[in-house]
This record gives sequence, C-alpha cells and structure tokens, in this order.
Amino acid sequence: MNLLKITSGLVGGFALLMSGSLVLAAPPVSEIIERANQASYYAGRDGRSEARMRIEDNRGRTQTRQFSVLRKNVEGSDEQKYLVVFSRPSEFRGTVFLVHKNPAADDDRWLYLPDLDLVRRIAPGDKRTSFVGAHIFYEDISGRNLNEDRHELLEETDQHYVLKSTPKAPGSVEFASFQTWIDKETFLPVRIEYTNAVGEVYRIMENANIEVVDGYPTPMMMRVQDLQSGGNTVVQFRGVSYDLGIPDAVFTERSLRNPPAEWLDRR
Amino acid sequence: MGAEQLKGLLGAAVMALGLAASPLSADDWAGSGDDWGGDWEDESESRFPFRVGGFIEAAGGMHLYDNKAVDDRIGKNYNLGETRLRLDIDGDWQALGYSLKVDGVADGVDEELRAELREALVSFELGDRTDVRAGRQVLTWGTGDLLFINDLFPKDWQSFLIGRDEDYLKGPSDALRITRYGDEVTLDLVWTPVFNRDNYPDGDRLSYWGQTGGNEFGLTAEPISDNAREPGSFPGDGEVALRLATRQSGVEYALYGYRGFWPQPNDARKTLAGGKLEHPVLHVYGASLRRGMGPGLFNAEVGYYDSRDYDNAGFNAALTPNSEVRILMGYDWELVTNLNVGVQYYLEWTLDHDELEKAFQDMGMKEMAGEEYRQLLTTRLTYTQMRGDLMWSLFAFVSPSDDDFYLRPSVRYRVSDELTVSAGGNLFGGKEDYSFFGQFEKDSNVYLRARYRF
Repeated sequence: MNLLKITSGLVGGFALLMSGSLVLAAPPVSEIIERANQASYYAGRDGRSEARMRIEDNRGRTQTRQFSVLRKNVEGSDEQKYLVVFSRPSEFRGTVFLVHKNPAADDDRWLYLPDLDLVRRIAPGDKRTSFVGAHIFYEDISGRNLNEDRHELLEETDQHYVLKSTPKAPGSVEFASFQTWIDKETFLPVRIEYTNAVGEVYRIMENANIEVVDGYPTPMMMRVQDLQSGGNTVVQFRGVSYDLGIPDAVFTERSLRNPPAEWLDRR
Repeated sequence: MGAEQLKGLLGAAVMALGLAASPLSADDWAGSGDDWGGDWEDESESRFPFRVGGFIEAAGGMHLYDNKAVDDRIGKNYNLGETRLRLDIDGDWQALGYSLKVDGVADGVDEELRAELREALVSFELGDRTDVRAGRQVLTWGTGDLLFINDLFPKDWQSFLIGRDEDYLKGPSDALRITRYGDEVTLDLVWTPVFNRDNYPDGDRLSYWGQTGGNEFGLTAEPISDNAREPGSFPGDGEVALRLATRQSGVEYALYGYRGFWPQPNDARKTLAGGKLEHPVLHVYGASLRRGMGPGLFNAEVGYYDSRDYDNAGFNAALTPNSEVRILMGYDWELVTNLNVGVQYYLEWTLDHDELEKAFQDMGMKEMAGEEYRQLLTTRLTYTQMRGDLMWSLFAFVSPSDDDFYLRPSVRYRVSDELTVSAGGNLFGGKEDYSFFGQFEKDSNVYLRARYRF
C-alpha cells in the first residue's frame, strides 16, 4: 500500500516536473472534472484538518468560526462521512455536525446542540446557502454533484484547464453558469467564478497556498467573495493529515455527544 | 518516510513556483493569514487547566393585558426582568471529563439574587462502548418540536412561557445516564434517584385556571406548588427512563420506557379533605421513527401513558389523571431557500373519558371534562437573512378541539460573535378561560433580550 503510494507519488512528481515543458493533449472533460472532484474532496482514504474562518461583511465587521473536521470515504463509492466539531465562537462551542454524504440522494445530516443535549436531524434543504454564517455554501465544502451540470472545456492554458459548467436545472440554483480554473498539475480548482443570468460575475471562490500533505496537494487557504453584498470569507487550514485509519465508528451518534479526542487532537 | 518528505518538498517547491507565476492565485489575500496569526484558539494556550466561558444577558418583558390575579400577588405588571450571568467551566482530568454551568440571576420580579445550577456533571467511558454522565444535567430525547411524548425529563414551562431563551424550557435533572453504543442498537438508561418535577405555571409569574377559593373556579395566581406534595424519598421515589435506538436504511427507530410520576401534580383526591395535590405514579411506553421523505424529514411518535393511580370510583375519576394515548406526526422541510417550515399534528386521547365526564357531571362541571380527543396543530416558520445573522421565527400552536392557540413570534439578530439581541412574544387566546392555552390569555407578553457571550 505504502509502496503504491510512493510510486504514484513519484510518478505524480515526475509528471509535475515534466508538465511545465511538455504540451500534452487535454484529457476529456469528464476526466478533468472527475479528477478535480477527487483532488478537492476525496484525497486519501480519510483525513483530518482544523479550519478557521474569517467572515467579513460589506462594512468590514468580522466574525470568526473555528472547527476541526474528520472525513472518511466510503470504500467503493462516492459516499463520504464528515464530522465537524466547533470550538469557536463560544456560542457554537461543543456543537457537532455529522454528515453522511450521498451524492446520489440527499445527505443525512445531524446537529448536536450541547446546551440541550439534543441531537437534531436536519432537513435536506438548499445546499447553496450559508454554512454557519459564512459566505461559503454547504455545497462548497461537501462538493457539488458533477451530474447536475453540463461541463465544457473553454480553454487550456499553460497552467490551467478552464471549464464552463452550466446547470441542467437552471431554476434549482442561483447561478447561470460557473467557470473553473483547474490547476493542470494538481487538478485542484484554484478559482471558480459564478455568473448570474445577466452575465455578471457575482461570486468568486479561490483556493491557494497549496501544500503537499502526506502526498496529497492540499489548499491551505480558501476564499469566497460575494461581490453582490461586498462580503467575503477566508478559510485557513492547518493540522492537515491523511490516511490515518479513522474507524467508521467515529462517524456515528456517539461522536456527537462525545467527540473523539483521539482523532480530533493534532498529532 | 524519507521518500515521502522528499516528494513533499519537491512537490511543494514545484507548486510554489507554479503558483507564483500564476496571475490567478498570486493575490495577496492568501498571505493575509498573518494578520490573525496567533488567533487560533488552542486548548493548550489556556491559562487554566479548564475552559471558562459564558454570557451575560439582560431580559425584560411585559404583560399585554391587565392581569389582576398576578398583579395582586406580586404587584408587578411584568413577569420577566432579570440580568443573568452564566459561567461555563469544563475540562478533563485524566479519563474524567467535567462540566459546570451556573447562572447567577439578579431577578427583578422575585426581587432576589439567586444561583441556578444548570449543569454539574462528570463523564467517563466504561470500556469501549459505554459512556456515563453523572450529576446535574439537561436531558432530551424524542422527535417532537416543542411537543414531548416520551421525553419526561423536567420542563421549565414558566421560563418558556415568559420569554426566556428556548433552551431554558429544558430543566436539569439530577441523574445518572448510561449510554451503550452497540453495533446496531444504542441503549440509553437514565436513573433519577429522586423525582424532578416540571416548573409549571405557579401563579408567581403566570396566572392559570383553578380553584379561586371554596368551590369557585376562575383565573388565579394561588401557588400550586405550596399546596402540592412531591415524591421525595430515596430510592422509592426515583425515575427510570430507557431508550433503545437504531438506524436502518436511513430510518431512525426508537423504543422508550419510563417509570416515575406525572411531572405536574394532578392527583387532587386529598384536597377535598384539606390535603395536598400529589404527583401520581406514571408509566409510559412509546416508540418513534424519523426519516427523510420527499424534500424533508418525517417523524412520528406514540406513547401510552399508563396512569397507575387512576381511580374510577365516583368523583375520583375526575380527581385522578386518566391513562392516555399520545400521538404526534411531523414534517419539516425547506419550502423556499432560507424559509424552513415544520408542521406537526398531535393527539391526546383520554381513555375512560366517559367515567371522567360522568364524574364532572356529578360535580356540576361537565364542561371541565374536556374533549376525549384533544388535538393540536403546530407550525414553525423560520426565515433567515444575512447568512443567518437575522432570523425571523413564528411557532404557532392551534387546537381545533379546545378552540385555543399559542403564538410565539420572535426575531433574533446576531450583531457579532459576542452580542445577540432577541425580541418576541408569547400570545395566548381561546374561546374558554379553562382550556389549555386559553387560561393563559391574560399572561400574554412581549420580551426583549440581549446576550453578550465571552
């Protein structure tokens, strides 16, 4: 397993070195978006990270969120499990969010409210609404189902594949289309611009400070700008690690009441 | 490991070069992390071995109507006027977790300073699969929204009805909770060594329908609790609550059991001879399910209230609580973006209602028997704006069988991470003064709260 990882890493590294000088034919669009999806949301078998968000409104007033995230891919499927444990601000401290993500259907989501010792199941709802008060949408973190949009390759530059995605059900989302700049080396989207019905870009999402962690290129910063309201949210990650062997039992109701310090604490 | 590191460095270097050359990502925002460099909250950086937090909250409310009964008793036309300082302390000591939540309240209605201990517990794991919490704690289960069938943990109705934060509806229990997480089934067992009652409307802030003296009935503010005897002996007057829960293909099922007492004193047999009201013995058996359905969540819950002390002899059929079957069904979904709708149907079916009616008829108060089937509809509308910082909410209880209602409009604005301001009301009405919500019509109130967290 380890050998495989190292080999693939070396091959990847080689490809990274070479790609600057070689002009390769672009892979099919479906492969680009699939690889981008894998790189963005499925790196490793599992992973942990800590995140803090700075939410700034149009008047420059800021709010902060801080949380730890554990993630595990369900083997042999595109399903995933997430556990998000909040530590800041004090209003959210001890609040825990558990998600069983199922791209083919609605995600199952639970929220634990420590003041009431209450496990609340959350109705599916619109995924393109604020995640805990940020300009980031729930869908930005959990991933958007690739089948909901039609994708075309607009342009290939030295560094990026530039894709345009148009929703198959335009009424279901607030954008008319979005354009994604996918880094050719890491397949991470580094910029996504959302365009409204009148052709204006009103929302920009960016990934930056990409570091290779445990062999997986990982953005350590993310930003979403809401050009309509004038606000933005910056997310910083740290303590990222992959392939820890987190057991399935971590992603169950027990962790809502009794978050698993063993996996949440930084190693 | 060496290869890993080398590869990592190599990859990072290549990418750093690549990124530096990219006009798309070389924006200076990504460097702005330094601005809030030391700002991560780290447990290890705390000055104490435990964490301290909490809030300070000012809350005030006023009656919408003259309420003579309460005015006469407390001499005030408001039932909420307080400043509350909450301290939360929690930490770990070896394998033991502990948590303390205490409120210091300067209360303008009671004209007193008091401390309220909301939580004082230790928690630990027993083996791989069992968690234990012992001490004062808030406990909640069941699927209803502000309707409780199998959750017989103490409720603070008074706090709820006068406009304190909704969290305060749940009162604390002094209990031992053991939870065992099996592969398929989670078992919860809660033992409360000595019965904890509800904090029900007791005349000091809310009037209610009751005996006004002699055999007259009307709105009164007489203290009920002074005239009630609570089961208080150890261990005979304890409570046991049990839950078995499982999840199968996305559907959550649960079975419940309870052995204890009615949470409000509703055995009036001894009062005829000048004695006190009592909390009669109650056993409850129930079940619930919750599942995704269409665009939302569906839940259903049922409970059989086995009123063990029910006595059908003569007047006693009206003086002791009957057994009941309680059922609720609910559906919760996002109707349009940021507007959430929850609807519930609730039914209380009084068994042996004929006996109850006959007993009241013999007492000359047939209408007091109420309906055999008490039905209730609720809706919760929640609309959020400004990414959730501004939240409008309306919770409505409407009973077609009792012809009464209870509306809870509220608006909450999160000014910052620290400061939240809320305003709202508790509005009651009904055709009859003696119905469940109708009796509180004169208690209708509006409130304003500001909470600063630290």
